[in-house]
Amino acid sequence: MKLWHSFKKEILLATRGFYFYVEIAMAGLFLFLLLFVIPENFDHRVDEYLFYDVPDSAWGYFESELLEMDEDGSAEVVEIELDKKIISGSLYQTEENNYYVLDDQRQAISLADSERAFAGVIHMDELGEVTYTYYMQGYETDRLRNIYAVFHNESMDVLESAFDAQDVQVLHEDQVLLSDRQNILPSFLTFNGSLMGMFILASYIFLDKKEGVIKAYAVTTSPVWQYLLSKVGVITLTSLVTSLIITIPVMGTQPNYLGMLVFLLGTGFAASALGLVIASYFDDITHSFGVLFGLVIFLMLPNIAYFIPTWDPIWMKYIPTYAMLEGFKEILLPGGDMAYILMASFGFFIAGLVLFLFANMRFKKTLTI
Amino acid sequence: MIKVENLHHSYNNDEEYAVKDASFKIPQGEIFGFLGPSGAGKSTTQGILTGLLPLQKGIVTVAGYDVKTIKRKMFNKIGMSFEQSNVYSKMTAKENLDFYKKLFDVETRDSEELIKLVGLDGKENVRAGEFSKGMKHRLTFARSMINNPELWFLDEPTTGLDPAIAADIKDIIREQNKKGVTIFLTTHNMFIADELCNRVAFIVDGEIKLIDSPKKLKLEYGEQLVEVEYQKNGDIATETFSTVLAEDKKRLQDVIAKYDIQSMHTKEATLEEIFIKVTGRGLA
Repeated sequence: MKLWHSFKKEILLATRGFYFYVEIAMAGLFLFLLLFVIPENFDHRVDEYLFYDVPDSAWGYFESELLEMDEDGSAEVVEIELDKKIISGSLYQTEENNYYVLDDQRQAISLADSERAFAGVIHMDELGEVTYTYYMQGYETDRLRNIYAVFHNESMDVLESAFDAQDVQVLHEDQVLLSDRQNILPSFLTFNGSLMGMFILASYIFLDKKEGVIKAYAVTTSPVWQYLLSKVGVITLTSLVTSLIITIPVMGTQPNYLGMLVFLLGTGFAASALGLVIASYFDDITHSFGVLFGLVIFLMLPNIAYFIPTWDPIWMKYIPTYAMLEGFKEILLPGGDMAYILMASFGFFIAGLVLFLFANMRFKKTLTI
Repeated sequence: MIKVENLHHSYNNDEEYAVKDASFKIPQGEIFGFLGPSGAGKSTTQGILTGLLPLQKGIVTVAGYDVKTIKRKMFNKIGMSFEQSNVYSKMTAKENLDFYKKLFDVETRDSEELIKLVGLDGKENVRAGEFSKGMKHRLTFARSMINNPELWFLDEPTTGLDPAIAADIKDIIREQNKKGVTIFLTTHNMFIADELCNRVAFIVDGEIKLIDSPKKLKLEYGEQLVEVEYQKNGDIATETFSTVLAEDKKRLQDVIAKYDIQSMHTKEATLEEIFIKVTGRGLA
């Protein structure tokens, strides 16, 4: 009962404090960004500027090839700014590229230069021989250059038979991917739900240290661990609320909310307990800021691996937030790996328990500081 | 109610003791003053007695509980008023007391009654953050009575209070003591100790130099003096005479006989003077 009374008191203090509203505002800001700034899917299409130096009679053939690739089968007349002048061109959009066909070779080359893009000039001589000239930026990989070399120096028959000979097996035919917007959510949930929790819990403790109320609590029949756990409870509850504020409008009913509850309890407990340990070593937030900030930066590192899958070193997997990101992703995916979610939650809970017991021991020792 | 034997405490776990070989006993119903300058070891001793600091060496029994292995139930019998006010500034006076009421397993006092008792009536629903330093101190004092303690630790209970409020606080302390509450009063204010305490302990550099009642200390260490103001050749003269020394007694009789006496009163040594005499140290 005393734990419940302490928890109620912490809720009251939180709602009358500044940090509680910071967390809610952060969740609101993340939601706003997700709904109104970040598109459902990013436009990954690469711009290419083309000039066809071919007779009018041959242009029809090239145009039909472009139209065949175009998503809606028609060219769009567009205006492009070049050297503060507006020029016109025709845009053909495929799944992977925006092809701008221009009326002037110099315009294509200038745009490649100013837009740091790719330009191609297709020339047909009187004998009907077609030559391709590519203008690149110079930092393209050898692999890309080799592809162009092979493409224009090998007969199409050979290439086609090589393509046909490749055996492609799809391992997960029913795999559902998250949209680009949804894919950002695990990162926000990790930051808002766990890292902010750690930071704010430490702030609550520093506020209490300043007011000296921990000492007053220590001379009651309620043990100090209940005081600490009531704080953890408030942080975990706030994390839960803010996570739902972000998740429900973006994901609807798709996520595994039960899994999310379990995972947030585990990760929130671990992050809060870490905040307690840090707060036990300092008197105020100013002195602890360096450690807190450094830790948040370190714990944010797995975000890089999350968004750049080609950079995923082994050591990164030992940073707890790596498992948090993966866990949240499994929660959001339909048919996500529940075993992983439960295992990770259990792991975070055990880590949180060890940290909590250590923090409790520290606080009992440092009550008079 | 309190029994301390050979208490030692070192903050760095070395031979630099903040409290050295302290021993004393406080029977039930006594007001015991623990007096000394800042850094003497008063707060350290009090911290150990209230479980805020671990017991390193010695035997300490408080309200029947061994402090080495503190049981939370012990705090049902203890009240603690801290020198630095420590209440939740975002909670009202009543919310503060109501919360602490729930942290004890014994019958507690009514929050509003306590608020009124310390002169904060009308401020029940005002957040403590809006209180003056003195008001916060009174709320901290009121909170320490919430569980009807049998043993009451008071750390500088009248510090920062105006004289009228300080007088009220002293009355409350006397009232509680009349009800049988044992009081451990930590202070560097010799006047309040002199007024309230049955016995006092002088502590300096972690060592208890002396324990006795203020009355006995004055008899033992103070001189019996009479200060006389009289008219002599048109001017006012002041002289102090010992009531013990024969020479002074005779001289006093001469003055009374010869001159027009303006005022005459006995003068006894203050507790502060005795402290300086015994310890060789001031209280600053």
